[in-house]
Amino acid sequence: MSSAPLLKVDNLTTHFHTSRGDVQAVRGVSFDVKPGEILGIVGESGSGKSITCLSILGLLKANGEVVDGSADFEGKQLTGLSDKQLRTIRGDDIAMIFQDPMTSLNPTLTVGEQLIETIVAHKPVSRGEARKRALELFELVKIPSAASRLDNYPHEFSGGMRQRVMIAMALTCDPKLLIADEPTTALDVTIQRQILLLLKDLQEKLGMAIILITHDLGVIAEVADRILVMYGGMVMETGDVYDVFESPQHPYTTGLLHSIPDVRSHTKQRLTPIPGSPPDMLRPPEGCPFAPRCPHAIQQCLEAMPPLFERPNAKPTVHEARCWLHHEEAPKALQSIFDAPEVSNG
Amino acid sequence: MLNYLIKRILMMALTLFLIITLTFFLMHAIPGGPFTSEKMLAPEIEAALNAKYGLDKPIWQQYLSYLQGIITFDLGPSFKYPGVRVNDLIREGLPVTAQTGFLAMLCVVALGIPLGIVAALHQNKWQDTTIMAIATMGVAIPSYVLATIALYLFALQWQLVPTFGLDSWQGYILPVLALSGFWLSFIARLSRSSLLEVLGQDYMVTARAKGLHPQTILFKHGMRNALIPIVTVLGPVVANLLTGSFVIEQIFALPGIGRHFVLSISNRDYTTIMGITIFYAAFLMLMILIVDLLYMVLDPRIKLGEKAQ
Repeated sequence: MSSAPLLKVDNLTTHFHTSRGDVQAVRGVSFDVKPGEILGIVGESGSGKSITCLSILGLLKANGEVVDGSADFEGKQLTGLSDKQLRTIRGDDIAMIFQDPMTSLNPTLTVGEQLIETIVAHKPVSRGEARKRALELFELVKIPSAASRLDNYPHEFSGGMRQRVMIAMALTCDPKLLIADEPTTALDVTIQRQILLLLKDLQEKLGMAIILITHDLGVIAEVADRILVMYGGMVMETGDVYDVFESPQHPYTTGLLHSIPDVRSHTKQRLTPIPGSPPDMLRPPEGCPFAPRCPHAIQQCLEAMPPLFERPNAKPTVHEARCWLHHEEAPKALQSIFDAPEVSNG
Repeated sequence: MLNYLIKRILMMALTLFLIITLTFFLMHAIPGGPFTSEKMLAPEIEAALNAKYGLDKPIWQQYLSYLQGIITFDLGPSFKYPGVRVNDLIREGLPVTAQTGFLAMLCVVALGIPLGIVAALHQNKWQDTTIMAIATMGVAIPSYVLATIALYLFALQWQLVPTFGLDSWQGYILPVLALSGFWLSFIARLSRSSLLEVLGQDYMVTARAKGLHPQTILFKHGMRNALIPIVTVLGPVVANLLTGSFVIEQIFALPGIGRHFVLSISNRDYTTIMGITIFYAAFLMLMILIVDLLYMVLDPRIKLGEKAQ
């Protein structure tokens, strides 16, 4: 784990300008992605996880703006690049797949054409060669009778097959980084698993890194190496996936783990949802964004933004959490909530 | 596909037959006739005229003999212009109407759609506000008001264009402007909203994420999808413009068929009413058929003549 990071995001801050004021969607997010690793970003809707990734690739809507921070890809600064310069990276070194394969493919073009145009945009090849490559990719993502399927339109595929098409399209130029934004959310549970295993399999075969955005901790547990928990546009907790599942260091992460149903449990156990709703990002709270919903919040949590506290002796990577309870002056009684793991789901 | 076309054409023939029948009997239900006038013709003369044109026969007989004519594409003699057949009336008027109509159509497509695209791409900026302000006026101002104002300013005050006639190319400017004003504005507004909707679609983000050229994204991914609702409207618009406008032809003194349409009704010129109605209806149906066929080219999800899966 000592290799240089592929992507280094530092203090990324994204605002959306609206008539009601600036929506602070992402507030100083920093993280690394190493070559060949799978980083899971988890958080509920509006936590800023998708916007973080769209900011990196400059794909924000017209009213969105990266106001601070940077994203460094293989030593190249992505923030501040012109659209023309970003075009050479998008779909080539960094590819992206989206939540709903139903609406993310153009309904009026054949899937083959949608693959071919991506290849031709980045590689100096003829359309015939591009078609051959598209066929290879269809076989790689295990689309049955690939050759004849190239000339089909998206509506002639099932949801799972469409997501395979999206994945094939993302792989056209052997990306070093694949950003998968909720790739399984719109699919049936059985298909979800197939797609996840396919992604994991491809990642091992092709050696690319993946950022997997999801609100489903089960998905993260299945494939991710490291996890980034986001809330209110900030990183709440980050660490190795086993570490975080075994001993979560932030009450929000604990809350998330509590709200997963456990099929192995024989008792009729009720799910524990997190009460309250996420903060208004037009006027985010000054203190910890989770404090108003946190069962353990102390006065300090409401008043000041906690820094990231590093957990001592974490292995194999850094395990950090943004919670005042890790401060040495915090009440000892409250600190103990992190000691004995209440849930073991990993 | 061929089956579908044959079915559609048979349906068109049936629709046309219903239109002919309905118009024929409605027309005869209006009081008065082609030879009733304030001059009070002597009853013998009126009777002789009615006999000459077969108007003295029972109405169902008149109807049958009219249908007989239609089958051989004979629209009958005009009652108002002695010695002129309705076929000739259309043949003479149509080129004038179709010429101005075609130019107006060109303006609608070649200006309306690009203006809509520019507005959509600069949503809420000055380009958008300006285009939409003008387009809103264009939709709101009736064509005869636009025609009269333009005629007063450009032809009378500044004498840039002739007041009437199509003898020089300048003569076309005002009629085409007046004729296309409404639809041009309408199509610009429709193109803007249609493209804006498409620009917000997920597959447009995908296209950007693939690193495609902005022009490819706009035309191949955006406009192709945005055109579907525009084409729907354009079909009837073509029929509307090519068959002319009574008001515009009246204001600019153009010898087109649009004016015959209205004048024939007040004149009770039965055959002319029928002839122009049939012509307009057939043309409109043809345009709608062409639009339906174009859908298939634009959107592969639309399969004509097949049951929905």
